[in-house]
Amino acid sequence: MRATLAIARRELHQYFETPMGWLCLCGFVLITGLFFALMTTDYSIQAGQAAMSPYGGQDINVNDWLIQPFFSNTAVILLLLCPALSMRLFAEDRRQRSMELLLSSPLNSAQIVLGKYLGALGFLAVLLFGTLHTALILYWLGDPDPGILASNYLGTFLLAASFLAVGMLTSAFTDSQVVALVISFGLLLGLWILSWADSLAPSTWGGVLAHISMLSHMEQMSKGLLHLEDVAYYLSFIGFALFATWQRVEAWRWQ
Amino acid sequence: MIRVEQLDKRYGSFHAVRQISFEVRKGEVVGLLGPNGAGKTTTMRILCGCIGATSGRALIDGKDVLEDPRGVKRRIGYLPEVPPLYPNMTVRDYVRFAATIKEVDDVNAAADRAIGRVGLSDVGHRVIEHLSKGFRQRVGLAQALVHDPDVLVLDEPTSGLDPAQRVEIRELLRELAAGDRTVILSTHVLGEVEAVAERVVVIHQGRVVASDRIADLAHAGAARLRISRPGAEASAAIAAVSGVSALHDEGGGLYRVEAAADVSDKEALRAAIARAAVDFGLLELGAAEGLEDAYLRLTSGSGPDPRDGGRPASPSPQTES
Repeated sequence: MRATLAIARRELHQYFETPMGWLCLCGFVLITGLFFALMTTDYSIQAGQAAMSPYGGQDINVNDWLIQPFFSNTAVILLLLCPALSMRLFAEDRRQRSMELLLSSPLNSAQIVLGKYLGALGFLAVLLFGTLHTALILYWLGDPDPGILASNYLGTFLLAASFLAVGMLTSAFTDSQVVALVISFGLLLGLWILSWADSLAPSTWGGVLAHISMLSHMEQMSKGLLHLEDVAYYLSFIGFALFATWQRVEAWRWQ
Repeated sequence: MIRVEQLDKRYGSFHAVRQISFEVRKGEVVGLLGPNGAGKTTTMRILCGCIGATSGRALIDGKDVLEDPRGVKRRIGYLPEVPPLYPNMTVRDYVRFAATIKEVDDVNAAADRAIGRVGLSDVGHRVIEHLSKGFRQRVGLAQALVHDPDVLVLDEPTSGLDPAQRVEIRELLRELAAGDRTVILSTHVLGEVEAVAERVVVIHQGRVVASDRIADLAHAGAARLRISRPGAEASAAIAAVSGVSALHDEGGGLYRVEAAADVSDKEALRAAIARAAVDFGLLELGAAEGLEDAYLRLTSGSGPDPRDGGRPASPSPQTES
């Protein structure tokens, strides 16, 4: 356990030792902040217009008109960002030959995989922490539903954690970070647009495909509805990716 | 302490290591010698549990790396050919990290001890990336030493260093080898092996072609001579000299004479050989071949030298005692 945490800590540190980590962090906070500012402005205009409208503006509220779209935008940014965070997890170790330190240490492959993944999750937590000011502003200016905020945060974290798990898996298959980046981005995009399958081909298969999509499981959570099914989807997705990565690391020892 | 039995490793169709067997006793320093691509690194990586063998076993103190990976790895310190460093960590953080994943109890004390041991105390706070190659090699050594292993496996510890750094590392290795520590180091710099190791295992094309004490390997041939009238009669006369164990006819009147194991006075033996050869028109009589000659002889051509009767394919009798 101590060794696993040491690997996680080292991975987390690594993000702050490289320009890449800082670039991702600053870029993420900046872009989400910008989105938030634009959306709040837009929301206040819409709300003002709705208040003056004779047809009533009761339906316009912070939860549905601001929090939900903000988090779905954040999810898209994370889709672009996560492959860049996960690409180095194994590829870098193999390229600079530091993998041999891990392989010759009294660690098993599961500890290595778990440690690296936890390190990446740690950085994800830092990223999401960087959006907390938006929640504070909402509380200051309005009256958001804490349940919706919390379930959106949870959903976004689980979604991005799935992105990172896929990214780590692809990183374990190559010693080139760029290749890992491109492949994991392609995979994530594929899994993302599967949700369109339902509307493009409304059949049983379309439904099944939409069910596999990462996006469709966010919908309920973004409305503040926490279904066990959705959480279980993300957790099993992550579990599968970690298992595959573990198998891959084991295979290195035997190839 | 270390026992490698019939180790075999294939990468697809490439046969990297073929039925390698050798043994290293506790406290011994053994050089793994061989040209590039001979299978030294593969053997070491299997020994350290980084990769698995296709067949055969590698035992550390009687335990197979595969049966008890954690227990065995805790006792091995491994320095790969390229030190496994994280360039943007400081020396101290890196060694502490290594100590933690190697399950050392007192991480800070162990890290400081290892850093002091390899003479890096002054640069502990510096980022590895900015260190010279020699220092980086030392950081790699600190990593291998941090858990105070019984067995050190060093893959070309002086490769790519300048002569001064090379001497420094060599001194360090000699210090580390003192005491009970068992050390295997691979190299293709012969001088290094002579300076540090007591015994060499020569690997060529994935096979062990010799496994001997350096003194024995270097002086296996007691003499090299050339005569103007070679023939069966000459061979018989030289072979009959007491102390000569074998005579190899290399053609063109060239002979290589091997001394029996109990001959200590090689000079006297050469004198006796000279007296016998003089009747057949002795042209030249050279002293024993050095380690370099032995190495070149063993690693030239493909596979074991047929002149040696195929014997070196397995460890020589002297080392199996």
